[in-house]
Amino acid sequence: MLGLLLVVLLIPYLIAAYGLLFVKLRWGLRLFGAFIVATIGLLTAMFLVEAYPIIARDGVAVFLRTSWDPARESYGVLQALAGTVLTSAVAMALAMPMALGVAVTINEILPARLRGIFGSLVDLTATMPTVIYGLWGLFVLGPTLQSLINYLPGGMMTSPYTLFTAGVLLAIMITPYAAAVIREGYALVPKPVEEAVYAVGATRFEAALIKLRYVRNYILGGFFLALGRAMGETVAVAMVVGGNYARFTTNIFESGVTISSLIALQFPNAASYQYMVPALFAGALLLTLFGLAINAAAIYIIQKWQI
Amino acid sequence: MFTWSKTFYQVTGGKIQVNYQSIGSGAGAAQFLGKNLDFGASDVPMPKDKYQQVAGQFVQFPVIIGSIVIAYNVPEIAYQKTGKYLNLTAEVIALIYMGNITQWCDPRIKALNPGLADKLPCKDIVAVHRSDGSGTTAAFTLYLSKAYPAWNQTVSWGYTVNWPADQKAKGTGAKGNEGVAQAVLQTPYSIGYIEFAYWATNKDKYDQVGGVAFVRNDNDGKYYFPTTENVAMGAAAGLERYIKKYGAPPAPDADWNPVSIEFSNPPRGYPIVSFTYVFLWKDYAAEGYGDAATKAALLKAFFRWVLTEGQKPENIVEGYIPLPSSIANIGLEALNMVKP
Amino acid sequence: MTAARKLINWLGLGLFALLGVAAVVPLFLIIGDIYIKGIDAINRLGGLWHFLTALPPTPFDEKGGIGPMLVGTLYMTALGALLGIAVGFPLGVYIGEMRREKFANVSRAAVNILVEFPTIVVGLFVYAVMSLAKQSLNQYLLDPLSKALSPVGGWITQFIGPLDGFNAYAGAAALAIIMIPYVALITASAYASIEQQLREAAYAIGGREFNALFVVLRKAVSRAVVTAALLGTAKIAGETAPLLFTAFGNTYYAPFTGPTAAVSLWIWYAAQTPYSVQIASAYGAAAVLLTIILIIFIVARIRG
Repeated sequence: MLGLLLVVLLIPYLIAAYGLLFVKLRWGLRLFGAFIVATIGLLTAMFLVEAYPIIARDGVAVFLRTSWDPARESYGVLQALAGTVLTSAVAMALAMPMALGVAVTINEILPARLRGIFGSLVDLTATMPTVIYGLWGLFVLGPTLQSLINYLPGGMMTSPYTLFTAGVLLAIMITPYAAAVIREGYALVPKPVEEAVYAVGATRFEAALIKLRYVRNYILGGFFLALGRAMGETVAVAMVVGGNYARFTTNIFESGVTISSLIALQFPNAASYQYMVPALFAGALLLTLFGLAINAAAIYIIQKWQI
Repeated sequence: MFTWSKTFYQVTGGKIQVNYQSIGSGAGAAQFLGKNLDFGASDVPMPKDKYQQVAGQFVQFPVIIGSIVIAYNVPEIAYQKTGKYLNLTAEVIALIYMGNITQWCDPRIKALNPGLADKLPCKDIVAVHRSDGSGTTAAFTLYLSKAYPAWNQTVSWGYTVNWPADQKAKGTGAKGNEGVAQAVLQTPYSIGYIEFAYWATNKDKYDQVGGVAFVRNDNDGKYYFPTTENVAMGAAAGLERYIKKYGAPPAPDADWNPVSIEFSNPPRGYPIVSFTYVFLWKDYAAEGYGDAATKAALLKAFFRWVLTEGQKPENIVEGYIPLPSSIANIGLEALNMVKP
Repeated sequence: MTAARKLINWLGLGLFALLGVAAVVPLFLIIGDIYIKGIDAINRLGGLWHFLTALPPTPFDEKGGIGPMLVGTLYMTALGALLGIAVGFPLGVYIGEMRREKFANVSRAAVNILVEFPTIVVGLFVYAVMSLAKQSLNQYLLDPLSKALSPVGGWITQFIGPLDGFNAYAGAAALAIIMIPYVALITASAYASIEQQLREAAYAIGGREFNALFVVLRKAVSRAVVTAALLGTAKIAGETAPLLFTAFGNTYYAPFTGPTAAVSLWIWYAAQTPYSVQIASAYGAAAVLLTIILIIFIVARIRG
């Protein structure tokens, strides 16, 4: 019955929310906010309920263990969290400069006619199906990166499919999201500000830097959109990350696993085991907590910079 | 399975659609038990704990035989170069995946391959395994567990295992058979286990960089090359051994876990064989399916076709091996248990 | 202007340009690869029209197509996008416009968290709700409804009727949930970036707040909102993981109340088989999917 109520109440809720928009705008908008908060709440509740068996059995050990041994029903998701952190870090380190580059290129360097085309190209990168990125990573990016890294002295990638490969692939995939947000802000820098900057004799490069500083809250917004995307990407990462569950590693040139790809890779067969499904949801729970922590950090940074 | 579905669709003039999606063996079993699916398929029989919950209510039977080959990438001894393939045993394979044999020039590998011993380079072996939970891994690790007891104690078997090679940073994972196949092709000095079909369709590519291994059947001491005949020999030998041990062929509504154990590492033939099993309920009406009588009749018709016409060579896709009739009969008997 | 500053100017702009180009180079590589192989595949598998309508090929077939997959993707993407925009747009307005309210910031945090959920988990959530609801939903709502609608014609059962565990609507719901945060965040950016004077002017002219926000400011935000809607729609057209346990996939034309095919699911499956005809069909499917996305983009650019 619970499920039925959920589904049946949904439509009237949305209609009511829309109706309210016309009557009392603010309350209507608030209903939409409530909807999304409720959705998150339900999702988190589902995680808690599903993960309960393994937390009851192991306590917090599941969050601290670093090996994955289904044959002995012993699960740990810490190495997956490390993988998520590492791949996201690599991805953001590569994606943010590219996103800034895209924003500046579109708005400062390109002639007006090319702007639309280039912008659309960047947006197109965002919409490419992730499974195609995964295939490209599997057949092209992985081996290429392996050859590249192994040329450098000391760089050692034993396999084409490592955390680094996943990070690079993610960077390509998330750049357009950050770029979209930054472009918005950049294009809307007020004319007076722009004129003032050029009036004091800045070069185009210096003007670009000043404008970027001006829109730093957009950069932050783009950063978190891209970061969220990177942490949640499942399919493409699953195909190139390498699948090493047995060891906690901080070496990005080794195979590893992220929480999202762990769930994608293991879920189909998880029902055959007693505690695997709860363990996977425990991983999802950990990811949620991690996301909350990052959001808290974001709020703190925004307040400090006082946007 | 998809091929069978489409051929059957054409054979029945478009009247019967059997929709099959590969979502993983564990999901196949789970969704079947959850009654979201009309039938389930899996590379491994119904797990014991689940079996006990529904014992006697369903049947399981094999529909086709698959096999796993060991492919390797060692350019110095590539088949195109030397005209020879490597010989390997379960023990050596297990030790590689345990991270105990770390280089291709290890004396244990040399001992099995006197003809190639001087060409084996002293490079680190990269052991490629599956990153996703998979029936292929299950069959492979089951074989290692049976053939090499030390493996059974340290690692055991399953859809996903804790690979010791990973812990020693000597292993890597790839997603899907395709991923492992690619990884082995692209990574020099690697070794991996893949389903027969993925090697067979790319044989020349593998021959250029390495090849596929002859695996020794420890029960009769001979080295077998992965071919359709050798695998069929293995499957039939496994069934013989089961009948000898238990007195009769396995019943469709019995627990098949002991069966798969007997079939793995058979007395003769290529030792790494696996079955694809299908699960059906005995009484669809009682299990609460809508339209039960039609469904049951359709399923019976389809699987009867699969077990008879479907086993003919023109209906078997490359890389799979048809059931010997003794095993197919178990399936037909199972269908008789499905009401009506 | 000193020479040094000029040099820095060129170097700096050059660096930005390089980074910008680096962001799209992989795109060209991938698109090129897919179209080359995809168009070749479509030709081999029977030509464009056949490919768009026929059933998928088995390893024995020489011709085949992605007919059921195309229909399924179009239907689920359309529904999902509708719902995603319907909820995402007002949500974005709320987050962007009413930043002073505490609840708005809570909602923004919720949206940020939703963005980072693994997409497969969203699918599992919809699956869980579906499992809970299926029985009662069918019994109390959909059975009577479909009986009431049966005079309309047999074809209605393709769309409305008792739902199986796996169906197109669950798939569309999962896609919608994934799309909402993207639409919301980009819309929020658009509204938040309106200069204060423009906003005050809009309120002054617009009278009611509804007018001010949606009618007067329409021009200022429409470009961003259209981008958000497009980006979101194209994104969910290509999603795979959320559909695995909601729509499940199908290789035949079938009612939307049961397991439904999708182009992305077929690519996921076919590209990982060893059979060249199926791999070819995956490339063809990818080419078709990309073309659909391109068309959506071009249409919107022309209009906006």
